[in-house]
Amino acid sequence: MLRSWVARKAKDLPPEGLTDDLPLLEGRYLTSLHIPELILLLEALRGEAIDVERLQAGDFRDLRTIAARFLIGSPDPAAARAAETVPPSPRGASR
Amino acid sequence: MTSRTAPTLREAIAAMSDTVERLNELSRTKYQNPYEAIEWPESVNPADHWFFTPELSTLYGTPYWQQLDDAGRRRLTFDEAANFFSLNIHGEKSLMEGLAARLYRSDLVEIADYLHHFLDEENKHSVYFGGFCRRYARVYRSRHISFPRRPEREVEDLLFFAKVLIFEEHADRYNVLQAKDERLHPLSRFINGAHHADESRHLVFNRAIVTAFWDTYSPGWDEGQREEIRDYLGQFFTTTWREYYNPDVYADSCFDTPWLVAEDAWNAPEQREHRRRVSAKCLRFFHSTGLLLEEPADVF
Repeated sequence: MLRSWVARKAKDLPPEGLTDDLPLLEGRYLTSLHIPELILLLEALRGEAIDVERLQAGDFRDLRTIAARFLIGSPDPAAARAAETVPPSPRGASR
Repeated sequence: MTSRTAPTLREAIAAMSDTVERLNELSRTKYQNPYEAIEWPESVNPADHWFFTPELSTLYGTPYWQQLDDAGRRRLTFDEAANFFSLNIHGEKSLMEGLAARLYRSDLVEIADYLHHFLDEENKHSVYFGGFCRRYARVYRSRHISFPRRPEREVEDLLFFAKVLIFEEHADRYNVLQAKDERLHPLSRFINGAHHADESRHLVFNRAIVTAFWDTYSPGWDEGQREEIRDYLGQFFTTTWREYYNPDVYADSCFDTPWLVAEDAWNAPEQREHRRRVSAKCLRFFHSTGLLLEEPADVF
């Protein structure tokens, strides 16, 4: 659901498509204006509110970061399933 | 399309000087002290009064509205009033920041007097909105987060005032309708009316300054840049409208699945039509300038 939402909103995706490490904001595929709507989606998937005042642009760097930051470890099964589609980065993996 | 030479920003601002001077004069004569203009009741009872026009509720026309009895509808719309005031507080915070950043900038010095009024009036509105939310309800949170500014100042200027225009035109429509809605508690009518009294001037200024920036800068931008601006403004329509459909409000009104309620309400045909009606005037303006060529996707 996270991936399909981003794919629907992203502008001019590269030929390789929406990869897990595609820099969403830095690459200007999404803008700051997408973030409130994305937070709504993430809250719905988690089933709980997100403390927005402590967030930074880096929390939304790419799909992998978003899943790790907001969905992995969530007690809500739907959130965990959404996160499964975006595996966490291996330790020490280069970007 | 006939070709014409783009004005310089100085020329474009000079062309709006009569309008700005008239707005300055009106702001001076209608100056209001927010600490004297209103007497806050000790308490209010959401069960006894309407604080928000029921037909403006985000659930109006949806099956959820039908599930609520009269008391439930009053409770919901009381929370929606607090949400409406809260999203104005958050919008005005960003607005004041942007106005302060442009105050006495060398290329905008001719409108500095009006930026003072604009800033002053926005601060007063937040006193009203914050006064209501903190006394009787709560300030609902914003889901916006801070991002670094764009490097291109011309684009940033245009987008800043275009976003202000959209936000204020929507809010003003709600203010106008609610200020004259005799079903509403006098306090709610007063706050909406006081906001509209100042906003009617801001709307005139917003249209003039957006036109000045667009006419000055857009001839120098390529089609890709203009399309990026259009996409951004289209997304702003979605973002700003989404704030009205706040799951936190539905949770306070005892809905067990607040995010689902928000999503269902957002997608309800009656609500899409409502948003189209409220946005119609500012969409007409954007189409007339050429800033937007078509209706933004996803919103209506």
